[in-house]
Amino acid sequence: MSLTQVSSNKCAGGFQKVFEHESTELRCKMKFAVYLPPKAETGRCPVLYWLSGLTCTEQNFITKAGSQVLAAEHGIIIVAPDTSPRGCNIEGEDESWDFGTGAGFYVDATEDPWKKNYRMYSYITEELPKLINSNFPSDPDRMSVSGHSMGGHGALICALKNPGKYKTVSAFAPICNPVQSPWGQKAFSGYLGSDRDTWQAYDATVLAASYSGPPLDVLIDQGRDDQFLSANQLLPDNLIAVCSEKKIPVVFRLQPGYDHSYFFIYSFMSDHIKHHAKFLNA
Amino acid sequence: MDLFEIRGGTLDVIAEEAEHQDLSRDSTIMADREARPPRGVSTFQRFSVGTNESLHFEPCEDSLPSPTPPEDELDDDNVFREGETEGEIVTVRNRLQGKVAEMENFAGHLEEIFLTVEENFGRQEQHLEQHYNDVLLTLSQRYDERAAGLEEEKKGKLEALYKQLLACGRAMDASKELIETAQKVYRSQDKRLFLKAVMPTIKRIEDFAKEEVELTLSTSLEFNTPLSDMSDVKTMMDSINVVPAPSAPVINPQMPNSASQTSLRVCWSLFSDDTVEYYELYYRPVLEDTPADSSCAPPVSKVKVKETHCTVADLLPNAQYELWVTATNTTGISPASEKALYMTVPSPPVIKQRECTSCPEAALIRWESGNTNPVDSYTVELSEMGTDATENAITESIVAVPTCQCVIQLQTGRRYLISVRAVNIGGPSDRSEVITVSTTGTLFYLLEETAHSCLSISEDGFTIFYGDEELPISAMALDDNNTFSRCVAVLGDLIPVRGRHYWEVEVDDGTEFRIGVASEDMERNSYLGANNTSWCMRHILTPSRHKFEFLHGGCSPDLRITVNPVRVGVALDYERGTLSFFNVDLEQHLHTFHCNFPKYVQPCFGLDNPGALTVHNGIEAPEYAFI
Repeated sequence: MSLTQVSSNKCAGGFQKVFEHESTELRCKMKFAVYLPPKAETGRCPVLYWLSGLTCTEQNFITKAGSQVLAAEHGIIIVAPDTSPRGCNIEGEDESWDFGTGAGFYVDATEDPWKKNYRMYSYITEELPKLINSNFPSDPDRMSVSGHSMGGHGALICALKNPGKYKTVSAFAPICNPVQSPWGQKAFSGYLGSDRDTWQAYDATVLAASYSGPPLDVLIDQGRDDQFLSANQLLPDNLIAVCSEKKIPVVFRLQPGYDHSYFFIYSFMSDHIKHHAKFLNA
Repeated sequence: MDLFEIRGGTLDVIAEEAEHQDLSRDSTIMADREARPPRGVSTFQRFSVGTNESLHFEPCEDSLPSPTPPEDELDDDNVFREGETEGEIVTVRNRLQGKVAEMENFAGHLEEIFLTVEENFGRQEQHLEQHYNDVLLTLSQRYDERAAGLEEEKKGKLEALYKQLLACGRAMDASKELIETAQKVYRSQDKRLFLKAVMPTIKRIEDFAKEEVELTLSTSLEFNTPLSDMSDVKTMMDSINVVPAPSAPVINPQMPNSASQTSLRVCWSLFSDDTVEYYELYYRPVLEDTPADSSCAPPVSKVKVKETHCTVADLLPNAQYELWVTATNTTGISPASEKALYMTVPSPPVIKQRECTSCPEAALIRWESGNTNPVDSYTVELSEMGTDATENAITESIVAVPTCQCVIQLQTGRRYLISVRAVNIGGPSDRSEVITVSTTGTLFYLLEETAHSCLSISEDGFTIFYGDEELPISAMALDDNNTFSRCVAVLGDLIPVRGRHYWEVEVDDGTEFRIGVASEDMERNSYLGANNTSWCMRHILTPSRHKFEFLHGGCSPDLRITVNPVRVGVALDYERGTLSFFNVDLEQHLHTFHCNFPKYVQPCFGLDNPGALTVHNGIEAPEYAFI
């Protein structure tokens, strides 16, 4: 698995790099961004995996989220992959912005023509960590996951489906209950078929109801003025209700005046990195 | 004898002080270079004060000076090294200050002695003068008496002689007359007349001739000079040579540390060559309000001693006594000495356990004076407890504490034993009961005087209950400006130190609580979190769910918490300006307020429905609390 460095910029005392590689899961060239904090020069660092939302690439997060200063301060490597396979030439992949390219939904597709390439779940949970651990000074035992919107959904399901793998999880405006939301329904029916039972394996609200594993400590920030919240795409209440019942510790913060954009992410990124640092640096 | 000469001159070094000379001389040299001492005198003097070398005053800018200069001390080149020399200057300065005060005291005493000696000599002069005056007076009286007596005698004799003279004159006249008559008769021609007259005349002449003529002097010519009785003058003269009654002794001012709670050690001296058989020491308490008439004055007690010192016992603590002494010998009693005022040492203070608070860097100790009358100051003593729980010697003393409380800087994670003494002119009292302070975590008690009348507090002081019973209206009447009148709440007595403080609160699922901090001046008729002077986490129970708010100024962020905390950790960081709340059981961060807390704040605890909560403190903050 060879990596090609695409770019490298010194940032906040460390380096913001972008690499490209040939992915075995996704069967295409994939780019991902890696931030290496100053501490990485002298020792192993824990890793935070950031999953971006619909229409994003590996660039949005590293240019708009303002994560590097905090990552440098806490000595955390941040890996930000792309949101779907690229250049696979699948028919219909570019038709919508919320399905196909840039909208992988972090599932392993079972339906044609997606099932060959659209295996973002395995990419994120298996291939990418192995790649990172073999090529960077990362501590394989200390990783956590976070994300925004579709990436928030991705982060939640990765954590819930892999008890103990991630030290903690947090999310910005996640799609909490895709099975009930238009976005989720569109994506899942496309990637997983019409049998809704198969969808449940990728629904955070459903997964929370049956979660059993090491205790989690989930931080979720949601802009109150988020248009998608009011459009019932995100459905955090459902997740909160289940977590309350199942006693999964969640702190959910409704932030007045904030929308769905990276301006919102930028505003609360430091709280999230501090939250991750608490567990990654413990 | 000019006092100012004494003050300006050098006092001799007393042998026992000599050993300190070398050690201190270096510091003195340093002090001279860096800061001139107030007078150019040697710093040794007769009355030494038993001060602890590690003296320091209220926690302040000065660093603790080291008790002895290090062995590899002064390379003169580095005399201006900041920290060390500053510390040494402080020690020396403090010592000099103490000794200057002692010297002034001594000079004052010398003045008194001088005055008394002057008086004594004056009186002796007077006494002598009077004595001799008396003698002279007596002599002159005698002289007058004798002279008068002689005069009398002279008069008497002269009178007697004069009488005699007169009598003689008369007799002579009579004789003359007779003779003339006789002659006349004899010469008379008339024989018949002659015969008639001759016989009586001859008879008369015969009678006259028979008459004895008194020719002796009626009085003697000698004067009577009785021996004058000069014996009393003699005794008077003798008494001048006899040992006089003694002059007044001089009573010493109170020696530091010579008194106890119930006794005083009084010393005096005699500044003359008088012989003294015994002394009598008089004393009586000095009352605050002495009435003008002496009828209500306290009784004077008296002790007879042979030495020039005496320990008077059975006295009241922290009381002022007036003492004077007389000396007596065979001749009589001396005048009384000047009255001296002595004070017994105070009773020890009583530390108020429930009003002491501590945190990892410091402790605030409060106590009751233990004395009805004011004392001069307090001394706080502390020692660190060793790991094997043995008590070390006192490691630190803080003197000249003016009020009944003191904030002491301490090291983190240790245990200390702290006690207090009350100090007056008489010296320090016995130690108060010791209190143990642990600098693990922050410890505070609740301020019961702020508690709402519906709130009751457990005996150990850490659990509060909001009972369901309706309070009688009369209980509301007890409210004052300091109690919460609407919000059923109470404040905690947090130590006013701007560091990091952590405590935990145990609640249950059904308790509607308000937990956080409030400024000391928060309006007591307001609700916790509803104003700008308080910040709190609030738990509200609705029929369908649990609601959590983080209130300040009546506003709260919108939050959902899925697992209800039953043990809330509160972390206050003055420097960072943060107040954070945690679910302790899950180590979960719930919320952080950001505020620079311009004033000191106090922990606050409120209940919105009948229930209870328990405060746990003195806990070391978990790592995640102050990331």
